[in-house]
Amino acid sequence: MIPAQFDYLAPTSLKEAVAMLAQHGDRAKLLAGGHSLIPAMKLRLSQPELLVDLGRVKDLSFTNEKDGQVRIGAMTTHYQIESSARLRSICPLLPETASHIGDVQVRNKGTIGGSLAHADPAADWPAAMLALGAELVATSTKGERVINADSFFVDVMTTALAPNEILSEIRVPVAPARSGYAYVKMAQPASGFAVVGIAVALTRDGAGKCSNVGIGVTGIAPRAYRATAVENALKGTTLDDATIARAAGHVADGIEPNADLYASAEYRAHLGEVYAKRAIKRAVEAIRS
Amino acid sequence: MDRVYHALTDPEVLCKCIPGCEKLVSTGDNTFEAVLAVGVGPVKGKFTGHVRLEDTAPPSHYKLVFEGKGGPGFAKGNAEFNLTGADAQTSLHYIAQVNVGGPLAGVAQRMIHATAQMLAGRFFAALEKNGLGVGG
Repeated sequence: MIPAQFDYLAPTSLKEAVAMLAQHGDRAKLLAGGHSLIPAMKLRLSQPELLVDLGRVKDLSFTNEKDGQVRIGAMTTHYQIESSARLRSICPLLPETASHIGDVQVRNKGTIGGSLAHADPAADWPAAMLALGAELVATSTKGERVINADSFFVDVMTTALAPNEILSEIRVPVAPARSGYAYVKMAQPASGFAVVGIAVALTRDGAGKCSNVGIGVTGIAPRAYRATAVENALKGTTLDDATIARAAGHVADGIEPNADLYASAEYRAHLGEVYAKRAIKRAVEAIRS
Repeated sequence: MDRVYHALTDPEVLCKCIPGCEKLVSTGDNTFEAVLAVGVGPVKGKFTGHVRLEDTAPPSHYKLVFEGKGGPGFAKGNAEFNLTGADAQTSLHYIAQVNVGGPLAGVAQRMIHATAQMLAGRFFAALEKNGLGVGG
């Protein structure tokens, strides 16, 4: 099928783009990489009246460092992140997560901002954002506001973004000393989406104890979430195997796991525990001094 | 409990509380015609359909049978409501079954259950906002 008829605007600056959103209200839908929206439009599951294409907004495509943070423009593609040697050095969870997204074609066009705003319950980026405690910058005609990742993912495909806001920038901490990261995912063989995906960011103190840990989980629940029960079971410990195994058992605490034709709720919960254990161990092994 | 039951079977209240409900009019004995414009994420659709109340046993029990069709696909199912309680407190227990078909089901099957739960959550939140504190 081809999409239903739509109007099209291509702003060349963020300022122009937010003005268009303010002017056109709920007629407008933002287009980023298009690899979630356009398939939906082709099936006519989505029929926006007006597409506002961010593809020519150059000021949304950047990577820089400021005040101990890595700042990434929302229109930066998954491939740009995956292939960045600089990011591999200062924030390795980002290129690692990007490498698991979709396929080469999706990674060439898909953007980190588009993926986060779309908030698919099985997308990869939300898990990494939660593990890193990312800050997400939302811009509108009224200015900017910073949303913490913990408050960003509200429900199935629902974020804290207001209809007139554009997610413009993603800020994550530069990796501190003695930190380790991992993203481990069980991909649905046909779609590539995460049946379960676990992102871990942890830091060890000088005595070898876990001083900080963030664990983001995708694929299991209607929205990505932080496995705080697992985090609490790891903090202050020596991150030995027995502790990790015990902690991983809490990955789906308080969660009613998704169920679909591919994986039952029980299977997902079990996978979550297995993958949480793997991800934590990989992150520990990856700790650099 | 009477007040809650009455509200849950009143098309005006239901139309205000069902997410995206544009029209819910009575077409006869316990039957209604409905138009819903509802969406999750970029997927939005207009569904037209019928709602029927069955097994009505005021003020504690009824069953709602629905079927609707729209661009994204069709949905049909039923929900059974049981009300219990004393004094000013009423507890509501519901069980729902939904079958979804069409492009929506083909592409988004993995999200149907979570979406239905989200919409149900919005329905009950709207009920509360409209003056009915429904617990349970």
